[in-house]
Amino acid sequence: MEAAAVEAVIHGLKRAGVDFISLLPDSDFSALQHQVANDRHFTYVPVSSEAIGVGVCAGAYLSGKRPALLVPTSGLLVAAWPLTSICMAWSLPLLLLIPYRGDIGDAFWLMGPYKDTTEPLLKVLNAPYTVISKQENISQAIIDAQASTISWQRPVAVLLTGETIK
Amino acid sequence: MKRFDCLKLLASMINAKTIVVANVGPISREWNALRPSDANLLQVNLGLCAAVGLGISVSLPQRQVVILDGDGNLLLNLASLADMANQDLKNTVHIVLDNEAYEGGGGLRSATGGKADLSVIARGAGVPQTCVVTTLEEFATEARQSLNQSGHRFIVAKVAKGSVANLPTITLDGKEAKYRFARYIESTEGVEILRPRYTHI
Repeated sequence: MEAAAVEAVIHGLKRAGVDFISLLPDSDFSALQHQVANDRHFTYVPVSSEAIGVGVCAGAYLSGKRPALLVPTSGLLVAAWPLTSICMAWSLPLLLLIPYRGDIGDAFWLMGPYKDTTEPLLKVLNAPYTVISKQENISQAIIDAQASTISWQRPVAVLLTGETIK
Repeated sequence: MKRFDCLKLLASMINAKTIVVANVGPISREWNALRPSDANLLQVNLGLCAAVGLGISVSLPQRQVVILDGDGNLLLNLASLADMANQDLKNTVHIVLDNEAYEGGGGLRSATGGKADLSVIARGAGVPQTCVVTTLEEFATEARQSLNQSGHRFIVAKVAKGSVANLPTITLDGKEAKYRFARYIESTEGVEILRPRYTHI
């Protein structure tokens, strides 16, 4: 992920009022994750499973924080159950930032299955999403997604693809 | 040792403002009967009790948080223990009512009914203070100490299977529980959580 894209994400998160980040370390977001971890604006809670991350963010939201979960593409599958049993069942918001591996143009065969699962899974989870491929659109997409997740009280995802995760 | 007796003791010691996060199933029903309060967040699903408690503990470091976990609930996401330990919590009492079984799921034994020892696992995960109690007297001592000190304490209470008769039904679903808990936090912490029209941006 290029420095400009990282800056755009950080800018969007701050403008959106996000003050709490949970994540599981991931190669696609590693530059972003290092920056978030060292930015005192954010309460930072790294987790060992994306499922735990969903629970942590639920607790944070109910305590007055504005959380976001940085989820590796594969981790969305791990998070699916708590997204159902907490976010869907309790009607809780959650901003999800996901690097969209396996999107068209991703040449690594191992990522192929995520094209088949990512968007259908978000639809099944009743989590609206937007796919962002240009750096100049990152910040506003995050701001809009945060406004939507708080207003709608259900998870909303921003999928970053193309040049945004190069 | 009966779980209900442990919870009854705990309810007699606990501060009105202490936040309690509890496992779905009999633990929530018993706790709701003993200490009905909007400071409770009950019926947290399998694998998530510790995680939700962690999110609250980190976000509200000035509030005491008690997590009433089940052995099955915790076993599903054991890594929660490591993630909690790494936050150096100062305000958290994590109690596992360990009946060595999936009582709400038909009663088959859990891994703690075999060879697993949650207190050893928690210690290995980095939780600073852990213990196992098998009598009400031990439970009372550990619970009182934990509630009266800052830190992150982990208590495994070995309890028998079975609940008590005629417990009131919990009439809140997750959505109503969310609103009540969030409104309670808003009023006691002076924060804004629920904001149907989020337009400041």
